[in-house]
Amino acid sequence: MNLLARLRSSLRALLLGVRMRSEVAEEMEFHLAARVEELTRTGMSRADSIRHARAELGPVMRQQERYREAAGLRAFDEISGDLRFGLRTVWKQPVFTAVMVLSLALGIGATTAMFSLIYAVLLHPFPYADSDRIMNPVIVNEDNPQELRWFAMTKPQFEQFGRASSIESLLGFRNVNMEISGNELPEEVAAVYLTENADTFFRVPAYLGRGIQTTDAETHQRIVVLNYKFWRRHYNGDPTVVGRTLQLNHEDYTIVGVMPRRFAFNDTFGTSDIYLPRNLLHDSVRPLVQWPYTPWIKIKAGMSRATADAELGAIVHQFAKEFPARFPKKFHLQLQPIVVPYEQNTGAMLALLFAGVVLLLLIGCANCSILTLARGASRQHELAVRSAVGASRWRIVRQLLVESAVISFVGAALGVAASYWLAKLPLLLAPNAFPAESVIQVNAPILAFSVVLTLLTSILLGLSPALRLSRPDVSQMMQSSHRRIGGVRSSHAFHALIAGQIALTLLLMATASIAMGAFLHLMNAPLGYEPKNVMEVGVAMHFQDQKSWEGIKTREARAAYIERVRQSMAQVPGVLSIAVSMDSTPPYSGVERGFEIAGIPATEDQQARVHLVDPRYFATLQIPLLAGRYWSDAENTRGDGVAVINEAMAHRYWPNGDAIGKQLSIPSLKSDAPLVSASSYSSGTREIIGVVGDARNDGLERPALPAIYVPYTTLMAPYTQYLIKAQSEPLALIPAIRAAVQSVSADQPISNGYSDLKEAIERDAQWSRQRLFSVLFGVFSAIALMLALVGLFSVVSYSVAQRTNEFGVRMALGAQRSHVLWIALRTTAWSAGSGILLGLLVNQLLHGILVRWMRVHASNAAGLATVTLLLSLCALAACILPALRAASIRPVEALRYE
Amino acid sequence: MDQLELLQGTLDLLILKAVSLGPLHGYGVLLRLQQISGQTLTVQQGSLYPALYRLEHQGLLATEWGESENNRRAKYYQLTTAGRTRLEVETEKWNRMAGIMGAILKTEAEPA
Repeated sequence: MNLLARLRSSLRALLLGVRMRSEVAEEMEFHLAARVEELTRTGMSRADSIRHARAELGPVMRQQERYREAAGLRAFDEISGDLRFGLRTVWKQPVFTAVMVLSLALGIGATTAMFSLIYAVLLHPFPYADSDRIMNPVIVNEDNPQELRWFAMTKPQFEQFGRASSIESLLGFRNVNMEISGNELPEEVAAVYLTENADTFFRVPAYLGRGIQTTDAETHQRIVVLNYKFWRRHYNGDPTVVGRTLQLNHEDYTIVGVMPRRFAFNDTFGTSDIYLPRNLLHDSVRPLVQWPYTPWIKIKAGMSRATADAELGAIVHQFAKEFPARFPKKFHLQLQPIVVPYEQNTGAMLALLFAGVVLLLLIGCANCSILTLARGASRQHELAVRSAVGASRWRIVRQLLVESAVISFVGAALGVAASYWLAKLPLLLAPNAFPAESVIQVNAPILAFSVVLTLLTSILLGLSPALRLSRPDVSQMMQSSHRRIGGVRSSHAFHALIAGQIALTLLLMATASIAMGAFLHLMNAPLGYEPKNVMEVGVAMHFQDQKSWEGIKTREARAAYIERVRQSMAQVPGVLSIAVSMDSTPPYSGVERGFEIAGIPATEDQQARVHLVDPRYFATLQIPLLAGRYWSDAENTRGDGVAVINEAMAHRYWPNGDAIGKQLSIPSLKSDAPLVSASSYSSGTREIIGVVGDARNDGLERPALPAIYVPYTTLMAPYTQYLIKAQSEPLALIPAIRAAVQSVSADQPISNGYSDLKEAIERDAQWSRQRLFSVLFGVFSAIALMLALVGLFSVVSYSVAQRTNEFGVRMALGAQRSHVLWIALRTTAWSAGSGILLGLLVNQLLHGILVRWMRVHASNAAGLATVTLLLSLCALAACILPALRAASIRPVEALRYE
Repeated sequence: MDQLELLQGTLDLLILKAVSLGPLHGYGVLLRLQQISGQTLTVQQGSLYPALYRLEHQGLLATEWGESENNRRAKYYQLTTAGRTRLEVETEKWNRMAGIMGAILKTEAEPA
């Protein structure tokens, strides 16, 4: 049979529904007229023949229905009938519907949000063409496989590398720090030089103008392409920027384009502000860069990574023979897809959150199933009537499924709308954990995902009630009218659902308690310093301007200038204390340098965090003095050979507590860079004059490393930083601080990068990850708890409503109220109780994985006990409240209750 | 004259045959069937139209609105190519079936 013709005819009938009906009517009219004419010819009266003809043909409506049936629209008509009925049913019970829709919207919204995050971060994070074939070649030290290293190449090496047969396209880049000159304040920018095949390698069209392109290799023009964020920051997103000049290191460059927001090359070394063609590298950077090419490789399609590893590994080993000093003794090359670092850092986190939202969705579904079942008991009468007048079981199942689909789709629409906002939440809470390129958006794969999810959900939540309710015992139902005794009590599936829902809720709550416990632990962990109301403010000195530079060129003059600025700042009302520090902002502070202890040959590679500070540093950050003294202002001005060490260092090298008076030296504490000035003592012998407490210097969680504090006048770059402790909110003082600085030197600005030390802590990766887990799992488990309680409450309410008669009988026969109460809630309480036990069991099984994935070190037994107790109490309350109503009914009323 | 009820499943074939002789409106199909059968067959009027719709939906009949003999708008049914093929196949099948049925029903008990 011609299927196409049938489809066409069905579609025509569907689309032209009204016209088809009128055509059928017209045809019937003609038939009747012809028939009447014939009948009157046989001698029948006109009225009789009309009646006769109508009776023969049957009602016109029936014929129209037949027509639609013949056109294959029967199923369609039935389903749209179900749909109308479903909508009506749903509409008639607003509270029930609202609870169902919300349960699903939360689950679907959260799941869609998490999926779009996973899509953006792990499945499709980069804007580059064929980004799955772009590899970061890393060198793995075989003596220490944890150590991965990038490597750079010379021009001949790079050319040789590019000829390898496994490479489709090879990009070389070199990161350089440059300075924007020509403005009143020099500004540092991160630049990256790219080989000129960047356009064909990335195939990312520029947002404005053009990107670096192959022809730039020949023209040798000074051009620059801007990063999107830099363009927004530095040019306020001015669209007319293309064609203007940007002065870098005192040379003029023409701006030819701006890259789109998602182009945030490169992830390995940090996103650059500007992109320059490779052939300009030697124009602006002195001394000559020997190794200008760090490679990114696009391997050929269909090439296995192992094959490419082998071929390229052989080439790199050959390089290692030429320059053994640049490579580990034993190593191999490994091509790492560029997404790998994020998979490692963020993958487990996302997997955990995804598991969390799926649990939430399951709880939402279970809740809907429970509600449907509980309500279904009261609908059994209706379904029995339908069944009695001939509805097939499939028809009833279909009707119930359509109803659940109506609810799911409304829930899904809300959920998807909410997901757009929800997906941004993790990015706000943990901005450093995600690739700069990832952009969260609702797109086709994500919408498809949520639609499939919704369909699955509606089947999942509708099926079990549908199958159960679609087999009503007609005779019993019809006889018993509304007075059904028992009702919900008998279903096993029902108890399984309640127990499962409670178990999942407990699991979520337990996870939240682990996350929150860890976060609290992190928040309350002693830092060894007090970040409250302290901010850092940087000041970069004018070394470009010859005249002002002359005044602060010598070490003494510069120290005096820094001190004058400090004193001027100290006059600002609200400032409690100000310290000078070069690079010593905790929780990551100091520079790792080797040191030697006088008289004791170094037995190991001795490293300590060297901090260049003034003596007020300790008071400002409230780092306690444990022994000895701080250096004086006079010693500070001279840059004397003194040192204060931290407890960790004292403990490690002078375990007997006799560090004071000992001598050490830091050989690398010197510099011949033109702008840096060092005191004569800088790398010489220093006497340890004091021991201070450990302040975190290697991140929030790791214990403090050995640290040496020396006067900042020892080694001075043309940049300094002030730590300012204020009475209250420190950033409010910035305008006053700025004015104070300018009162010393009119054209001396402060850096834009001032920040609160508390904020610096919040930007920390570990901090933001723990906060993310705590907030999200906290929210998840609160939602889950709410859903579960609504479920329990409605179950008990429904069962109480159905058994009111029974309770009346019992009480009339002398049952105690407490006994009735117990009967009303016992089955549900029993299910909830077994759910809690099940949840504890599952939690025990999963605990190890959870702790590892969250990178939490301490388990939280007290937290688990708390949430178990909380859930038990809430569940009990949700059962008792409706049950109390049953027990408080007067027997006479209960017996009359319909 | 005895009127015969239509055999189950034969209405489609009869309609195809009736229409094969020239385009007809619904009532015309009814009349022609009665006429060809010499008034011996009754077709339930209520079931005629569903059969027409079904055949139209299957692409065996094409429809067109036209003028009837007494100047009224009527819907005319006409055989499509697919319909003609179907009519031939079904006629062939019916003839074979009728032959077999006849032969079976003629069979008499063999003398022992």
